[in-house]
Amino acid sequence: MDEKDRLEIIKDILFTDDREYIEKISERIALLEKTVNEKERLSSKVDPIIENQLEEFTKSIPTTLGPTITETLREQIRTQRDEVVDALFPILGKMIKKYIAQEMKALSEKIDSQFDFISKWKIRLKALFSGKKKKELLLQQLASAKIEQVLLIEKDSGILKASYSKTKTIDEEMVSGMLTAIKSFVEDAFNQQNQSLELIEYELYQIHLQSFVTHYMAVVISGPYGLKSKNRLQDLIFDFYNRYMAMNVDLVVDFPVLEKKTKKADKRTIERELASSFGNAKI
Amino acid sequence: MQKSKKIVILGHFGVGKTSLIRRFVKNSFSDKYKVTIGVHISKKVVGFGSGETISMILWDLEGTDDIRMIRNPYLLGTHGAFFVFDVNRPSTFQNIQEDLAVLSKKMPEVPLLIIGNKVDLVNQDDLNILLKENDISFDFLTSAKTGEWVEDAFLQMATLLKDA
Ligand SMILES: Nc1nc2c(ncn2[C@@H]2O[C@H](COP(=O)(O)OP(=O)(O)OP(=O)(O)O)[C@@H](O)[C@H]2O)c(=O)[nH]1
Ligand SMILES: [Mg+2]
Repeated sequence: MDEKDRLEIIKDILFTDDREYIEKISERIALLEKTVNEKERLSSKVDPIIENQLEEFTKSIPTTLGPTITETLREQIRTQRDEVVDALFPILGKMIKKYIAQEMKALSEKIDSQFDFISKWKIRLKALFSGKKKKELLLQQLASAKIEQVLLIEKDSGILKASYSKTKTIDEEMVSGMLTAIKSFVEDAFNQQNQSLELIEYELYQIHLQSFVTHYMAVVISGPYGLKSKNRLQDLIFDFYNRYMAMNVDLVVDFPVLEKKTKKADKRTIERELASSFGNAKI
Repeated sequence: MQKSKKIVILGHFGVGKTSLIRRFVKNSFSDKYKVTIGVHISKKVVGFGSGETISMILWDLEGTDDIRMIRNPYLLGTHGAFFVFDVNRPSTFQNIQEDLAVLSKKMPEVPLLIIGNKVDLVNQDDLNILLKENDISFDFLTSAKTGEWVEDAFLQMATLLKDA
């Protein structure tokens, strides 16, 4: 198979009828997999071209196939999630029902973020051509905890002050409100005046909460979040606090009279600080 | 710059708090009753002629027949509040004076608008008489079902909060 053939295959993948899209892709990938296994030595020559094509592939999905697929699937799952689950219920039993409901939800969220979708295929294709096993690559990606999002939230009102996020997929203002409501509820219900809620687990994510005087910070993390990561994250947070927040009176002082007099830290500056503190940080 | 404001919606069970928000945010209505548990948060961005916008973060609190039972932390930092009653069920507005007194104590200086909801279910003339006789004051009489006066109520709140 020469370069041209490979381009043809990629083209085919891109323009397959979207209803059978996933099926056909798997078929084709199986076929490719076979070919590649046989001619593994080719891979070093082809890699650069594939990288290139992947770029194109990634770029064109959102404009060509992406919207149709995501719209259809999302709509189906959203409007008929209960029906789908209920239909399966008699066969699968309660446990599985719950599992599926969760999976469906996770899936619809996944689809919501096209980035995830594409990066998955990217891994698959990369694995094909670089000779590495897909599993290995996935594991590599999963092996470390990652900061997905950082929200700086006003403690009482739950109003979002500033944020940093890798991919904007959810409404951060609403999430801030919800987190604050949860936090208020838990802290009130367990009557923990001096202690505060530290961690929320939500499906695949962990949300680390760090309270200050007038604000708190919510850091959304994906991947395995252990003690080591937690320590590193806390360092980052306190670093940020010392470097930036402590210098801005309105972010740290809880004194109503001050509010009117002090100049408030502006959103854009804080967001820049957040990005530089958390953007490329490894935890 | 866009301002964000926290607005809480309070009132007894089933008076239509969730429905009013739904009408305002999604312009839709459902006859099904799904009790709100805890808090539900929604958001709507409102624009003004001046080009200014404010982001209304709406806290839809679970209904309670005893307003004193509301968890105080939910009310912290509130910029504006609605008190909703059901014009069809006197029990939801009989003690409105006391309810409002409790609220203004819990949230001093927070602008509060009073809404009588479900006007589509009653005769307007009878309603006026009833409210007058019971000395019930209100800011808006709405129907989440037909949509009448719903947007007006929320926009009024937005206007109140715009310059605050
Ligand atoms: N006819 C009519 N029905 C309404 C109106 N608003 C709400 N309802 C109905 O009243 C019931 C309760 O409405 P909700 O909006 O859930 O009430 P709620 O105040 O949020 O209730 P809780 O969350 O339990 O406190 C539902 O069945 C609604 O369909 C209205 O304006 N007209
Ligand atoms: Mg409700």
